[in-house]
Amino acid sequence: MITPNIDALSLVELRYIARKQGIDDAEVLDREDLLEALQEMYEEMESNISGDGSVSSPFTQQRFMNTLVAHDSNDTMGTLPGVQCLPEGYSETRIHLLLKNPYWAHAFWSVCSTDIMKLEQSSASFSFFLRVSIHGASERNLEADSFDVDVSRTDTSWNINLPERGRVYSVSLHYKDTEGNTGRLCVSDTVETPKSYWLDHVDALGKDERQFSLLFSSLVSKGGNMVENPLLREVVELLDERLGG
Amino acid sequence: MARNSIGLILNAHMPYVRHPEYPRFLEEDWLFEAIGETYLPLLRMLRRLRDEGVPFRITMSFSPTLCSMLSDPILQGRFTDYLRLHQELGEREIVRCQREDQECIPLAKMYLNSINTNLQEYFETYQCNILTGFRDLEESGHVDLITTAATHAYLPLYSEYPSAINAQIELAVQSHINHFKRRPKGFWLPECGYFPGLEDYLQKEELAFFQLAAQSLILADQPVERGNYAPVACPNGVFGFARDFHLTNLVWSNTEGYPTDSNYREFYRDIGYDLPLEYIRQYIHAPEVRVFTGFKYYAITGKGNDKRFYHPERAARKVQEHAANFLYSVHQKGEKVAPLLDREPFYTLAFDAELFGHWWFEGIDWLEAVLRNAAKSNDVVFETQLDYLKRYPESQVLQPSLSSWGEGGYSDVWTDGVNVWIYRHLHKAIERMEELAIRFPDQSSLKQRFLNQAAREVLLAMASDWPFIIHNGTSSSYAEKRLRDHLGNFNVVYENMCKNAVNTEWLVKSEKRDIVFPDIDYNMFNLNSRRNRYNG
Repeated sequence: MITPNIDALSLVELRYIARKQGIDDAEVLDREDLLEALQEMYEEMESNISGDGSVSSPFTQQRFMNTLVAHDSNDTMGTLPGVQCLPEGYSETRIHLLLKNPYWAHAFWSVCSTDIMKLEQSSASFSFFLRVSIHGASERNLEADSFDVDVSRTDTSWNINLPERGRVYSVSLHYKDTEGNTGRLCVSDTVETPKSYWLDHVDALGKDERQFSLLFSSLVSKGGNMVENPLLREVVELLDERLGG
Repeated sequence: MARNSIGLILNAHMPYVRHPEYPRFLEEDWLFEAIGETYLPLLRMLRRLRDEGVPFRITMSFSPTLCSMLSDPILQGRFTDYLRLHQELGEREIVRCQREDQECIPLAKMYLNSINTNLQEYFETYQCNILTGFRDLEESGHVDLITTAATHAYLPLYSEYPSAINAQIELAVQSHINHFKRRPKGFWLPECGYFPGLEDYLQKEELAFFQLAAQSLILADQPVERGNYAPVACPNGVFGFARDFHLTNLVWSNTEGYPTDSNYREFYRDIGYDLPLEYIRQYIHAPEVRVFTGFKYYAITGKGNDKRFYHPERAARKVQEHAANFLYSVHQKGEKVAPLLDREPFYTLAFDAELFGHWWFEGIDWLEAVLRNAAKSNDVVFETQLDYLKRYPESQVLQPSLSSWGEGGYSDVWTDGVNVWIYRHLHKAIERMEELAIRFPDQSSLKQRFLNQAAREVLLAMASDWPFIIHNGTSSSYAEKRLRDHLGNFNVVYENMCKNAVNTEWLVKSEKRDIVFPDIDYNMFNLNSRRNRYNG
């Protein structure tokens, strides 16, 4: 049986284990009494293990790791004592953009309570939306195009479909009120989606047997499977179309 | 006849797992299994080849977290306990098999012999620190040792944070020098995760090359001249070597690779799961937490549960066949590719070291057979990336494309629906660490130790292992707990420092718990101070 090194645990942690193990008065026992009660219980459990390995004790045995993680527990991790609760967001108005792949990015944001209060004071009702800005690769500050995505006030993250390869994207969080007033709350850093040279030169690739062989002979397995990659698949599909045509 | 050069890189990495507060700890077994089933047998094989005069040159990366654990006296002692426990199990298994499973007697003896050899070598040859064995292989010119990110962080998701990337790389180099007494020349990109510009950080640490995912060069924004058969030079002169998917897949693929052969040993059938609890209890992790013991008696056989017993001699024949097939595939590839090139082709094969021996039981025997046969062949040679760069110092200048070796080839594995939430907290912790490093530069004594602990916690939270484990759904509660612990610990320092206070009791406890990176300098999160250092 794996038991925690209970001597090393804090009072809060000991109380939690004692409660989980069904020890009466766990909340009022002091540290020494808790240690004694748990020790007794573990010894009793050891002696109650029957020949086939099953535990005949009424207690539910749990495994605790690194102070306190109930193995196979249904508890939400963040609700266990000894496990750090992390905030839903931080007290700042900020948005981040993470590039998942050339087609998708993940935005997450928070709005500080001061900004929320200001918005509530200025308008009876307001909502948020994301503006996805598309910039030229060489001129990051120059916005070439954009589109908006409505999000609810309780949302704090969103996956964004990126329409074009080889472009630079940023996302900003905006509010709009019932009178139609809008304003920008924050803007993310930019991310750049990759683009293959061959997407624009697929005809040349189709005509150049040497180049084709050099590129693809190291990308396809013995069984004919190509490296799994959506951009590469796009190149191959384009090539198929052109050659087929 | 053109010579085909194979550049094999093995990446040895384990996340930092150390829990002396428990008598035994399940996740520490990851390390013990890797030492017993991969690192020690690999060392044995490479030293045997060297002693017999078989020529070979390969590259190995050791992660700083793994180096720290391999040098840790507490974990060394626990590995010894682990071996002794399994030695006892082996002795009992021989008796049990004589009574119940006579066909398995030779296998039980084989496992016990292997444990006995591991024990003897661990104590007598390596004095409990196997890093000395690899250092010895480097000194004899058979292995080039390189490093990887300090906690094996997946770097593309931190491209917004130069200080964090810089810290991962600077600390890795420092740790490598501490353990191997040499400056590393190359860098293993964790998960082959690359973003354009990453090479600038590597250059600052005088790292000459790194490995890339197979699609990195074909998807660049200019045409690559030699496919994946030669390195490219990034615009700053650091070299990138792209993996050869075709050759890699002969070994790596879980559908068509050699390890799937029905004669090889089945990994998932283990007496830790198969035998009654009353017999196996003391060798697993609880009355009810069954684990792998390493005693596995069945061959892969087929997809169903009905398995044949494992026959090592049949597997050994397959090993020879597969080694010959691999070299034949290289030869055939060379015939096709060499005429298209203006130089001899170089094939980059990059694997996690633990594939060999641990996941693929016969993998080390296969590698030995390949190295022996290559040494006898006319057209295949194992050489390192540095050897090839000496022969061909000129390379095409090309910026590789954003890439990883994860599913889909980008960052999806580390940013899926179940793990993407972690970056909100990780990014915040990095920003706060930067803030602390700028607000409290060059502290001494307790405050310095407190800030160093904060830097340690941020870096440990950044390990690629935690989001990967959460993505996979195995041991995910442990991974999530670790993330939360490191971020929570970081916040203890942040909140105290904001009040200009140091929690001494907490600090002493934390330093005892995480003894990784003893020489860490939190100022590495202050890029201005780092710039001054480089300029000075």
